[in-house]
Amino acid sequence: MSGVVSSEAHKPATERRTNHGRGFLIVLIAAITVVVPLLLPLTAYDLNLSMQAATYAVAVVGLTIVLGYTGQINLAQAAFFGLGAYSVALGTVSFGLPFWLALFAGIAIASIAGVVLGLTSLRLGGHYLAMVTISFQQILTLVLTNWILLTRGPDGIWGIARPIVFGFSFADGGTYLALCVGALWMVGFCVERLKHSKLGRAMQAVRDNELAAGVVGVDTYRTKVIAFTLCALLGGLGGGLFAGGFTYISPDQFSFAESVVFLTMALLGGVRSPFGTTLGAALLILLPEWLRFLKTTYLAVYGGAVILLMVFMPEGIWGLLETLRKQVWPPAVLPVGRVAPLPLITWVGRETDSAILEINHLSKHFGGLKAVDEVELSVRRNTVHALVGPNGSGKTTLLNVLSGIYKPAKGRLLFDGQDVTGLLPHERAKRGIGRTFQTVRLFTSMSVLENIIVGAERPGNEVAAGSTGVEQHALAALDFVRLTELREQTVQSLSYGHQRLAEIARALAGNPKLLLLDEPGAGLNTVEKGELVQLLKRLKVHGLTVLVIDHDMNLVEQVADRITVLNFGRRIADGPPAEVLRNPEVMAAYLGNVKTHGAP
Amino acid sequence: MALLELKNIVIAYGKVEALKGLTLRVEQGEIVALLGSNGAGKSTTLRTISGLIRPLSGTMHFLGQSIDRLSPEAIVKLGVAHVPERRRVFPGLTVRENIVLGGSNRAQASRRELESDAERMFAAFPELKPFANALGWKLSGGQQQMLAIARGLMAQPKLLLLDEPSLGLAPLIVQQVFQVIAGIRAQGTTVLLVEQNAHMALSIGDRGYVLETGRLVAEGTPEALWNDDELRAAYLGGRKMVR
Amino acid sequence: MGMALQLLFTGLGLGSIYALVALGFVLIYRATNVVNFAQGDFAMLGAFSMVVLCVDLELPYWLGILITLAAMLVFGALFNSAVYYPLRNRGFQPVIISTIGASILLENGVLAAYGPRPQTLPGFFSFPGFNVGPIFFDSQYLLILGVTVVMVTLQYFFFERTLLGKKMQATSQDKEMASLLGIPVALMIMLTFMYSSALGALAGILVAPILFVSVGMGSSIALKAFAASIIGGFGDVTGAIVGGLALGVVETFGAAYISVPYKDAFAFIVLVLFLLFRPQGLFGEKVAEKA
Repeated sequence: MSGVVSSEAHKPATERRTNHGRGFLIVLIAAITVVVPLLLPLTAYDLNLSMQAATYAVAVVGLTIVLGYTGQINLAQAAFFGLGAYSVALGTVSFGLPFWLALFAGIAIASIAGVVLGLTSLRLGGHYLAMVTISFQQILTLVLTNWILLTRGPDGIWGIARPIVFGFSFADGGTYLALCVGALWMVGFCVERLKHSKLGRAMQAVRDNELAAGVVGVDTYRTKVIAFTLCALLGGLGGGLFAGGFTYISPDQFSFAESVVFLTMALLGGVRSPFGTTLGAALLILLPEWLRFLKTTYLAVYGGAVILLMVFMPEGIWGLLETLRKQVWPPAVLPVGRVAPLPLITWVGRETDSAILEINHLSKHFGGLKAVDEVELSVRRNTVHALVGPNGSGKTTLLNVLSGIYKPAKGRLLFDGQDVTGLLPHERAKRGIGRTFQTVRLFTSMSVLENIIVGAERPGNEVAAGSTGVEQHALAALDFVRLTELREQTVQSLSYGHQRLAEIARALAGNPKLLLLDEPGAGLNTVEKGELVQLLKRLKVHGLTVLVIDHDMNLVEQVADRITVLNFGRRIADGPPAEVLRNPEVMAAYLGNVKTHGAP
Repeated sequence: MALLELKNIVIAYGKVEALKGLTLRVEQGEIVALLGSNGAGKSTTLRTISGLIRPLSGTMHFLGQSIDRLSPEAIVKLGVAHVPERRRVFPGLTVRENIVLGGSNRAQASRRELESDAERMFAAFPELKPFANALGWKLSGGQQQMLAIARGLMAQPKLLLLDEPSLGLAPLIVQQVFQVIAGIRAQGTTVLLVEQNAHMALSIGDRGYVLETGRLVAEGTPEALWNDDELRAAYLGGRKMVR
Repeated sequence: MGMALQLLFTGLGLGSIYALVALGFVLIYRATNVVNFAQGDFAMLGAFSMVVLCVDLELPYWLGILITLAAMLVFGALFNSAVYYPLRNRGFQPVIISTIGASILLENGVLAAYGPRPQTLPGFFSFPGFNVGPIFFDSQYLLILGVTVVMVTLQYFFFERTLLGKKMQATSQDKEMASLLGIPVALMIMLTFMYSSALGALAGILVAPILFVSVGMGSSIALKAFAASIIGGFGDVTGAIVGGLALGVVETFGAAYISVPYKDAFAFIVLVLFLLFRPQGLFGEKVAEKA
């Protein structure tokens, strides 16, 4: 029963809103800005300023990728800029290479450096990573200043040639500026497209909630390395163009202070958009010229500006404009046609009694505390299995071990016959384990639909292929939880119950073999819990295998085929609900010992 | 005048309503138990009383004085001490130091006074005495619970808020802890006790309230509550979902 | 051998400066879970203040030191209010960026006020030092070592023996619990910033006669002090001191035996190696796993 889908809906939802008129307008503006320097006679002063703005902007757009999209601080952008600049300078002046070759080499070298920097993010985040980037920057500055044999030291390098293509020379300032502006537009366009691609979504997922991103199937480490590499690549490109533009460079142009300038530009303009970062670069190059009287103190003003920006305007100017635009011109939501039903993995009719998940002798300790103590659990296919126990019994710890967030002290996990005990979260997702969290972990900067799409893009999800296939699959998941109307909303505007459903849809879109639900009822009111129970019952009818953790016995009773009870990290009961709920040990665990003790 | 009075307290975390119009009171000299399964809003209630969370609406009065806008430091100075969930002993400080710091709300007390009060605490909690100079993190769960209570009592509170003292403790230790709690009331301190372990709480309480997803569903004496179907249902299901 | 001992002495002296600045880092980090990238600039401000007071205004050294320390205590309070407090609930990234901004503001503010030329501050003592065997004990270095020992001892006593010190420790171990006991948490944090600011300034005062007093001196000291605290184990007070001393020695030996212009690189290389292979440092606990 494949649904009839309107032709408009074939395009990815995020593109549907961009009408052709707006796209045409942007191309027109781009063409004008490229052509203007060719036609208009500009003074050397204006040319220099514009070239600096354009080449700096290319480098600052790199920060959009690593900081804006992926959320990692990079204080070494000036170092990558310098690598590009020095490659072009040394390449053309010392080694006599043609400009393009030297530029290409510069981009390559900067990219490799970016990979190396990204690799260091494996064990570290936050301020440690910031420190590594600063160290990298400082080491490069030292090398540039002191390795005089290669870099000519503090004297710098003169006489960098401009490129010649098929006899056509870019030596004229206006022509070279047009080249830089053209490059900037192309870079900006690519980076903007990146935001709506699979990689872009993965990056934003890492920024919004790295833990959930891993569990949903995103290889967070690889994503971060790619982000650093792309950022460095753009830094190198900008630097190479910069060198060609100014024909003289020296080490002090690529110091830590310049990295801070780049960062300030990105923050001021709005780090989440290439338009924002370009705007920031242009403003901060042009403004000091207009504010001549601040000549000696402009860096000090930058510093103060950074503080004020962080406190009052963290989204930057572009972010402010975007917020205004959304209020004045809310994007139209086009109707979606009928959507094919969500395929769910089930074993109904075959192997119904075998276990898809087996937990053997599992133990997890925190210091002296045995949070999970020799637990045995077996989840059979096509069943809804509940794991319950009073507060502190070890349920969430067990679930975290299942997801790969904790490493067990002892024991083995077998999933679908394979040992998964040592796998990382995204690798488990790849095998088909889906999960939701006790406190909803949606990607807050993306729309509901985009969140689901990230879930559908789980590696190893065979059903959805190609961008339209993925979106169709995501819509099917949304339809299953009855949230289709809310697909374009931001996550924060949803009620908590709907957020919870969206998170479940995200997990379902990944077509899991086993769905882990961590306290799905937490924070829901009675009505919302009712809806949740209905959803779980429908999943059960489809034959999906589910492991539910919850406190609410009402809820669990209505959907579970089997219940396992934990207390103090140990299993104290396991069996069908009627049997377990009458078990005296279970009642004691919840209500305390029935024997009265010194009652007043 | 009730010692503590809450009227229609509403707490929301963003879109989640954790407490939906809670009304309760605690009289001087009582031990009142606040029961309910996890997620019912019990800890949220205590955190609101002690000033860690600001209510969206509703009023709270302690000895007739409004406390809804006060900071935790101000509230503990008025005489409400909160022993939070999971004890939260300062891991890098010794047992004695933890206890002494419990008197931080008493601005007039000199260091000597606090130290001699600490000695009196050791007399009241003899199992802590051998660990007086041991660091907090080295104690067992039960010992940490005793320490947390002793630290709370150092504030010389009129009202002691106890959050899930039995959490993670073996049954025998739980009994010891509850003996201590019963003793606190004998010394003149009123106790508001939050517990999942309904039996233990009701065995020493004078009155109880039962919370379920942020709403009060039952209140009364221990006997009444124990025989109440609502209480059983709140913990063990058996009630059909209301549509 | 004589040379090695001499280098050791010099290295320890330099390392003491790093240790003092690192101490300030670590205290702020423990109290607020935030890395203060402007820590080194407290040292720079201290050094410049001495130049202004004792060279330009020709005040006696003891007076200059008192005024500088007092001013830096006040400055620490201002810094807390303007840079940390408004962002205290926003997560660490905005605060890092904000402290970087503060660092730039301070450095360029001083640059604008005083000009780019490095200044010199004459040594505190008129006699240069004395010899014991092959080693020359420079008087300024002796002073640095002496003051560091005294500071570390005083600080130990403050945190371990006074009630206020205990309250501050409690605040850094569990802010919320501390407030539940009635400890004024915001005040404790303010005091931490004030103390760290004065500590940084003291380092700057002590090192000023040895280095050129320049606007950039703070950044380079800060980065090395940061490296020192990571090497020692981030968050650990003893680690900060040991790390600082160790780094000073490594750097001095490196400069003498390997290369002078690249001596600054040693700190960063050691830092990166530790971050990659032993991020918890020598004394720290494992860098926490997220849950």
